[in-house]
Amino acid sequence: MKKHGYDVAKQAANWLGDAGETGSPPADPLLKDLDALFAVAPGEARVEQVLANLQARMRQEHPVLYYDELTSSPVGPISVALSEAGLVAVEFGQAETEFLKHLQRSHRAVTVRSPERVALVLRQLAEYFAGGRQSFDIPVDLSHSTRFQQQVLRAAARVPRGGLATYAEIARHIGKPRASRAVGQALARNPVPIVIPCHRVVAADGALRGYSGRGGIRTKAQLLVLEGVSTYRTALS
Amino acid sequence: MAAPGRPDFPELVSRYGRELYVYLWRMLWNEQDAEDCLQEAFLRAYRAHPRMDGSANFRAWLYRIAGNMARTQLKRRQRRDGREIELADEALALQPAGGMDDGLERGERLQAVRAAVRRLPAKQQQSLILRKYQGLSYAEIGAALRCSPESARANVYQALKRLRAELGAVRQT
Repeated sequence: MKKHGYDVAKQAANWLGDAGETGSPPADPLLKDLDALFAVAPGEARVEQVLANLQARMRQEHPVLYYDELTSSPVGPISVALSEAGLVAVEFGQAETEFLKHLQRSHRAVTVRSPERVALVLRQLAEYFAGGRQSFDIPVDLSHSTRFQQQVLRAAARVPRGGLATYAEIARHIGKPRASRAVGQALARNPVPIVIPCHRVVAADGALRGYSGRGGIRTKAQLLVLEGVSTYRTALS
Repeated sequence: MAAPGRPDFPELVSRYGRELYVYLWRMLWNEQDAEDCLQEAFLRAYRAHPRMDGSANFRAWLYRIAGNMARTQLKRRQRRDGREIELADEALALQPAGGMDDGLERGERLQAVRAAVRRLPAKQQQSLILRKYQGLSYAEIGAALRCSPESARANVYQALKRLRAELGAVRQT
């Protein structure tokens, strides 16, 4: 056994007081040894790396979503949210708390109100409702949709204002001609209605079978009227 | 209107990440374990207290979670064979050595001190590190360890007393 010779009787040093360290180097051998053990820290490069890894992990588990709303439109207030990659959510007529709860649940996201980041989307939506905008020029983030849903949504995004497509046409377009019903279901889960115009996809007989946005088929019809669609003709070929 | 939502975590990480990592490193003596515990501590704190603002409470709360995780990690490690000793050697290799014999003797002594610190009751060990090396006030230590500032102070005092008794006693054997 080694001998250390710390003085048992020696009482706690100055830094025990609330005044903190007094600046004088500890003459006490125990304190000196404790300093040698604990007053060291990992290298700066390593610390920076650890913090960068932590940021990345936090971002991965809790992505930041920026949101804001268009307070009035023909279909009521519209809330939108953006990730770093693009638009992730468009919702009609939902209260802010409800919208945020939805985002936090579905994306496990950190939500930050940011009129600046969302301004471009809101402006394009306003232009769309005013009738001036034919299509949206906004990156869309569909990473929370399945591969099939993404294919369907990207196909639906090609249907121009004033046009229509059928579920069967979309199914054929993505090379799965027997998947009309699944196409309908994928469109029902469109996270960004209006910007991806799933309202322009109708049944083969021209019927409006369903709509993902608030207000359902009524809203779908409203949007089509707004776009000047009077006769149901298909546009995707 | 108060904006709902959580505090910006990039902000929280840059504010508290560094000191917490160093704290965990001092508790665990292992870079990878410290990093793992740091990530877990932040994620837990973040999930548990979505509305916590970046206040002193959040700092103490992070220290509490990080400390608990470090203790769990230490227990887990102790169940595995011999790793503890191996790590001690690794850490002590960082110390600047004097002369050959001098360095050897010092290394052994530091190892004994470290082992004695490890044997302290958890609250004493944590209080000592938090006060002396993390620069927390007794009020903050109290918040982090769920005790009064007075008891935090007593823990630091007891830690030193115990170390002196234990390491001093070796001399008599």
